Amino acid sequence: MAMQAVEATRGSGLPRHWWAFGVLLLPTLVYLVALQERASLAVFWAVGISAGFVIQRSRLCFVSGFRDLYLLHQGRTLRGLIIGLGIATFGFAMIMGAIVPDPATGAVPQDAHVLPVGIATVAGGLLFGVGMVLAGGCVSGSLYRMGEGYVASWVAMGGVMVGLFALNHTWNWWWDATIATDARVWLPTRLGYTGAIVLTVVLLAAAYIATLWWERRAPAFAMIPIKRAQPAPPASVGDDVRAALQRVFRKEWSPAAGAIALSLLNIALFIRYRPLGVVGEISRWANDFAAQVGQPAGVLKGLDTLAGCAAAVTGDSWVTDGFMLNGGIVVGSFTAAVLAREFRLRIPRQPRRYVQSAAGGVVMGYGAGLGLGCTLGAFYSAIPSLALNGWVYAAAMAAGALAGSQIIRRLT
Amino acid sequence: MTETTAVPVLDVRGEICPYPMLRTNKELDEVRPGVLELEVITDHPPALSTIPPEAMKRGYGVEIEEVREGEWKIRLFKDS
Repeated sequence: MAMQAVEATRGSGLPRHWWAFGVLLLPTLVYLVALQERASLAVFWAVGISAGFVIQRSRLCFVSGFRDLYLLHQGRTLRGLIIGLGIATFGFAMIMGAIVPDPATGAVPQDAHVLPVGIATVAGGLLFGVGMVLAGGCVSGSLYRMGEGYVASWVAMGGVMVGLFALNHTWNWWWDATIATDARVWLPTRLGYTGAIVLTVVLLAAAYIATLWWERRAPAFAMIPIKRAQPAPPASVGDDVRAALQRVFRKEWSPAAGAIALSLLNIALFIRYRPLGVVGEISRWANDFAAQVGQPAGVLKGLDTLAGCAAAVTGDSWVTDGFMLNGGIVVGSFTAAVLAREFRLRIPRQPRRYVQSAAGGVVMGYGAGLGLGCTLGAFYSAIPSLALNGWVYAAAMAAGALAGSQIIRRLT
Repeated sequence: MTETTAVPVLDVRGEICPYPMLRTNKELDEVRPGVLELEVITDHPPALSTIPPEAMKRGYGVEIEEVREGEWKIRLFKDS
């Protein structure tokens, strides 16, 4: 039957050569060296490596979460992200409850991603949404694709730094014009923890159902299950172990599995330090490079009052917790890709794709600076922080992604 | 159809989402409308889950083959 879909030879088995496991050496050695220096460096490295691994294995792409709604009526990734947000919401609430036992006092947990909500949040989210679709990956997505060998993602990351450079040079204007006076709305202040958690879970459930409804509106077609070549049934303990390893290292995880794993990492990091976020660090790189070429951003106002992904400032050492986290994501993804036999240098053939990645990166970088975070910091860590800014940013980003999807259709 | 007929190949290596899928759709809809068989070469793993459903919407069967590390051939085909 011609209509049959067969996945004939997806290949089986772990890396062809045992020495492929040598890729584990780099993460391990860096971890051990970092441990000698400072415990936090080792922890951020370990979380970064794990996050890169998880995101690569599940191909957890925030861009596709939004973009594929518009282009394909597919919501599988977005639904996975919503489940992950739900898990993180409970974990974050436990942690914040220990930091601020009585939210009615008006106190806000310092490291939670509770950020000023206003025009900057909306503008940042919109720009980020457009830029990430153009660039073919959000900021954390570009980090993990850099590790997988995507040349376009290295270009996009360069664009992000240019965008952050531009934002940092206009930051003080934005700060005076709006951000300084924008309210930070932490839901538990008025609703208490119970009310804030219930509201967040209800909104997440509504978003989940709306996604299902939207998927139903797709033009009907017969989805033929892609048949996978059935390996011989396991016959020994060795086969069982091999099969278990393959499920982790070789086969693609579902987006929901990836999102849940990412949320568990986020909770673990927040218990000891702070929630996940990558942009503040990249902003620091942009500022340091700019200063090297005689374009210092000067003193950025209000940074010490902002949690989340506000630009970090270089102190004694260039090797910081954020550096270890971001570097860890790239190396973790590289490791996962090699073990899955998916690593490959991917070089765009059309010159205009480089322009597109760079331009998307610039727009996305400016938006990430303005909105104080990317899909990770301003969205994935903000909604579980029970902060209003997470929802506003998400809505603006979804609108931006819709606009971006209209643009890229014309750039085929 | 005889086996000697060359199967058209669409090489989308180096392209990232959503282009492998969009370019495949364009090939099926505009460049070669009604083509009975098409081979798409990609090095973008997510395309393995976006191209097949779109091709199925157009009545094609799908077969995926791993050509080498990080590179796949997606064969789309239908009866005349």
